[in-house]
Amino acid sequence: MKKIKSIAAFTLALAMMAGMGACGKTDSDSDSKGGSANNAGGGSVEVDEDGIKTFTAFFAVPGNEVDKGNRVQEAIAKEIGARCEMKWLTGQTADEAVGIMIAGEEYPDFIDGSTGYSKLLDAGALIPLDEYWDDYPNIKNFYSEAEWNSVKVDGHVYIVPQFGNDYMYSTDCVHNDEAFWIQTRVLKWDNYPKIETLDEYFDLIERYLEANPTMEDGTPNIGYEILCDDWRYFCLENAPFFLDGYPNDGCCIVDRDTHKAIDYNTTPTAKRYFQKLNEEYKKGIIDPETFTMNYDTYISKLSTGRVCGMVDQHWDFNDAELAIKSQGLDDNTYVPVGVVIDKGIEEHYHSGSTLDVSNGVGITTSCKDIPGALKFMNDLLDPKILTLRNWGEKDVDYLVGDDGIFYRTDEMRSNANDQTYINANLCPYAYFPNYKGMDHDEINACNPSSQPSEFYESLPEPVKECFDAYGVQTYVQMTNKSGENAPWYPMWSYSNTFTADTDYGLAKVNMDEVKHEYLPKVVIADDFDAAWDEYMSVYNERCDIDCYLNALDTEIQRRIDVAEGNS
Amino acid sequence: MSKNVALAADGNAAALKAENKKSFWKQVKNQKTLILLSIPFVVYVIIFCYVPLVGWIMAFQNYKPAKGLLNSEFVGLDKFKRLFGVAPFPKNDVFLGVIRNTLAMGLINLVLGTVCAIAFAILLSEFRSRGGKKVIQTISYLPHFLSWVIVAGIVFDVLSMENGMLNKLLVGLGIVDKGVNWLAEPKYFWWIVAFTNLWKETGWNSIIYLAAITSINPDLYEAASIDGAGRLSRIWHITLPGLKPTILILLIMNVGNVLNAGFDIQYLLGNGLVQRYSQTIDIYVLKYGISQGDYSIGTAAGIFKSLVSIILIFLANRTAKAMGEEHLF
Amino acid sequence: MAELTKAIAEEKPSVKPKKKSSTSRRSTGDIVFDVINTIILIVFTVIILYPLLNMVAISFNDGTDALRGGIYLWPRAFTTKNYSTVLSKQSMPVAVRVTVLRTIIGTLSSTFVTALLAYILSRKEFLFKKQLSLLYVITMYVSGGLIPVFLVYKKLNLTHSFWVYIIPGMVSAWNMLVLRTYMNGLPDSLAESAMMDGAGHLTIFFRIILPLCMPVIATVSLFTAVYHWNSWFDVMIYNNGAKDANLTTLQFELQKLLSSVTNNSASAETMKEANNTVTPTTVRAAATVVTSLPIICLYPFLQRYFVAGLTIGGVKE
Repeated sequence: MKKIKSIAAFTLALAMMAGMGACGKTDSDSDSKGGSANNAGGGSVEVDEDGIKTFTAFFAVPGNEVDKGNRVQEAIAKEIGARCEMKWLTGQTADEAVGIMIAGEEYPDFIDGSTGYSKLLDAGALIPLDEYWDDYPNIKNFYSEAEWNSVKVDGHVYIVPQFGNDYMYSTDCVHNDEAFWIQTRVLKWDNYPKIETLDEYFDLIERYLEANPTMEDGTPNIGYEILCDDWRYFCLENAPFFLDGYPNDGCCIVDRDTHKAIDYNTTPTAKRYFQKLNEEYKKGIIDPETFTMNYDTYISKLSTGRVCGMVDQHWDFNDAELAIKSQGLDDNTYVPVGVVIDKGIEEHYHSGSTLDVSNGVGITTSCKDIPGALKFMNDLLDPKILTLRNWGEKDVDYLVGDDGIFYRTDEMRSNANDQTYINANLCPYAYFPNYKGMDHDEINACNPSSQPSEFYESLPEPVKECFDAYGVQTYVQMTNKSGENAPWYPMWSYSNTFTADTDYGLAKVNMDEVKHEYLPKVVIADDFDAAWDEYMSVYNERCDIDCYLNALDTEIQRRIDVAEGNS
Repeated sequence: MSKNVALAADGNAAALKAENKKSFWKQVKNQKTLILLSIPFVVYVIIFCYVPLVGWIMAFQNYKPAKGLLNSEFVGLDKFKRLFGVAPFPKNDVFLGVIRNTLAMGLINLVLGTVCAIAFAILLSEFRSRGGKKVIQTISYLPHFLSWVIVAGIVFDVLSMENGMLNKLLVGLGIVDKGVNWLAEPKYFWWIVAFTNLWKETGWNSIIYLAAITSINPDLYEAASIDGAGRLSRIWHITLPGLKPTILILLIMNVGNVLNAGFDIQYLLGNGLVQRYSQTIDIYVLKYGISQGDYSIGTAAGIFKSLVSIILIFLANRTAKAMGEEHLF
Repeated sequence: MAELTKAIAEEKPSVKPKKKSSTSRRSTGDIVFDVINTIILIVFTVIILYPLLNMVAISFNDGTDALRGGIYLWPRAFTTKNYSTVLSKQSMPVAVRVTVLRTIIGTLSSTFVTALLAYILSRKEFLFKKQLSLLYVITMYVSGGLIPVFLVYKKLNLTHSFWVYIIPGMVSAWNMLVLRTYMNGLPDSLAESAMMDGAGHLTIFFRIILPLCMPVIATVSLFTAVYHWNSWFDVMIYNNGAKDANLTTLQFELQKLLSSVTNNSASAETMKEANNTVTPTTVRAAATVVTSLPIICLYPFLQRYFVAGLTIGGVKE
């Protein structure tokens, strides 16, 4: 009796151990049944019965997965014999995701590591594209030799930066960048004055608010909002370099003569800007809740149409503008004004398309079919495929007029904004190299959103009126024409790669910390000067600015050298 | 029947005592079923929990995923020094503040969370209507299923200066004349987090106490009410002592978690104005390490938290043991 | 042995009538207590319920319209589009299947195995009781970190497999301690007399302890089931490869919708080009309702095990 029991116990014990051990086996069994070689999530290239290859890709940015069998994706696959399944970042940071891949040595065929790019390089996970690209002219000719030089690391090209490559010329109509924005109703109320300085900007809002404390339906108007949520706090902190007439280098001002980096946080302009905000806060022009809002609350306030103005980048509040229009409050949408600190400074809010050398898609060492992958990327840059990616299928997603000009019906336009529809039908391969500017037919814009006729179609009447008053046709023209970008521009493509284990990286994290805490305090302070002095003393104590600026100086010089072909 | 069992138990206890004197191996032989059964559990815990601890050497390295655990450069205690701001690294008052915040929020959560969950469980068990009890119980645990993003959205709505329910209520009652910007005041932050946690988890945490209440012998209540004891006195003299083992075990376990005061809610509700009081260790580590792929500093912080936790539970466990109460090990 | 279980079974019905008699006497103090208790619980319920109803209302409202706020208990611009957006996601059928499978298999196996460990550690005579307990208690407070754990699972061939959901979380120290505490509260006499009748540990565990532990088993099962239902992190880390589409879960799909809100490593520059919109609040609300409704329905079914005196009342010390 006893023996039987202990045998039973032993068998149970064994069974449990076996259960634990067997899990590995069962898993590979089930995988082989599925018909695909179990290459742990990447590497092998699957070929289906139609001879279409399926590649895999991971982009370390948040994104939207397209459905399997997506209409345009399949149309492209039929044309070029390949498709790509794309995964995006979810719930972790780019560096974490890339770190796990490196530790496990499992990569998809294509990868954009975002801020984890340098880790991929260290791990030797990317193949040098320039050793293969002679047979793939679309890739090779995507950038000029000088541009490729700036992408090179240790003499090789490992990634193709996807964005900011204008074909022919830029056709941007919407100023997607940062600006001081103001509602058309405010400008109209004062007969479309010329707004040049920060003082004029706030003066107008003040006068408008005094005359119009509420909207027509009685909702109180809000003068000015400052979004300050997490990384979106650029809406508060980076205006000083714009006010001084410098472009968006993100992390510093670069002196045009000495080519030295200048810390924009401590300039006299910065102090005047925050002092102005402080005054406006005390006058009640700035929403008292502004520094505790999260992004959702901010969008919801803007969406009511009550907010007269703010600093932001257009993509960041696009949703709110759609909501305003949907309520028929067309007069409450925003136009950008290029505000500077003193009259006479030339503003640089709009910049031409920029090559960001810190981001791009590469092919990994796990890829089993490198020529196939290169061909895929090459084919995606074919004019016909570009149109499929950017516009969709003819007669389904867009129509062609007699003159060859593409246009869309209202239904097509609303479909193109509907996430469910997009997932099932459209496939721009957003993180593969793509052109901006003109389409290769040289008639249309590359992308519906920058097609001039498309743009005017969707423009609300009050905005057209406002544009007429200022003698412009597009949002972009509301600010100065962008000049040639400086060879070092944009410096943020360098500072984005900083990590806290270097001294200059630590300095940057500390700067962000201190600014996050003190800038709101300075704006709401009763005694501005005391608050500013405290901020400055903490700032200087905790942040090693010299070390930070030195690192930037070195990079500026390096970029100038590359551009001049000296390295 | 019950007498028989009791007698048998006495006899058995005596036999056990006698057995204790026998050799160790004799005992092992006697318990071979138990020992055999426990072997898989030992293997399991070693594979899944202790083998990965090899990763702790990352804290003493400048870990690069490309080089792996074996080839990364060793830097001794540098990562810890960086974390605590010990020379030669820049002085770091911030981390001390972060520990303070974490401990404070952890303790508030521990105390309020435990008290409210127990109180709710008892009140619910005293509720007369069976159906009503079920409905309330089910509703109370719903918030547990909301993700923090959604919960944070709700908190923003409730605390809003303009339209927030709380401010409307306070203005309506004439307690304040103008809406308060709750999230801008550092002094309120810990309590906002505490109440959010209470709202989300009280119902959920009370489940375990409700289950424990069922194990209390109903005869005891019967006897008490015959003795003329009121409801409160029954709760005090029967329910609470009956819950004691469960309360103690959970307390000891949760004491070890005070440094895990959370990440999401503080991250989502925090802002520059309250930063000094809202940052927890996890947020700090994200900002200074993990988000930039510096696993070493994250591991260092993890080791620090583990050590503190283990010391705390050893202390708590010893205290419970000394008092002759239920303990962990 | 058989006698004993029979005796327990026979004793059970005697509980009910006793309970009734205790509720029949009511004094003024009793009534005051009930009134106050009822008020407290109702206020509490309203505080809990209102934001939830608000969320449901928002989930039925048009997304763009909802942006300007001011929706309380009823949608302003009614639509079911948010739900169709969520439900029409291609990954939905797979996600539902995997989540349900994982919850059922994970809960059954984990509860059983954890209860067995709790039983072993509740035996007062067990020689290595203290050591083994400690070995498990410590696991609650230490972790090797993301990468080492990942590498171990990869070596065990658990990555890119369904079993990574089941096996690593199989034994939960926390649940074990809860179960053990309850088992410790059972009278020793039960197991001992069975032992004298010649029953082995497995018999005692299955025939005596498990049935007596039903309330706490129900609790632990609920915790485990909810844990399985809600986990998404393991999906993301271990099963997020390109070929793992058939291993996704509901919560992971929800997380994809939510993560655009809390994506903490983004920068203005990368977001500008990415052209990604934040998932609308309304869709988030709908997704939350869809993903949590099924598991919420589990609780009422388990509540019948929470009746006082159902088990223990029959066993007098």
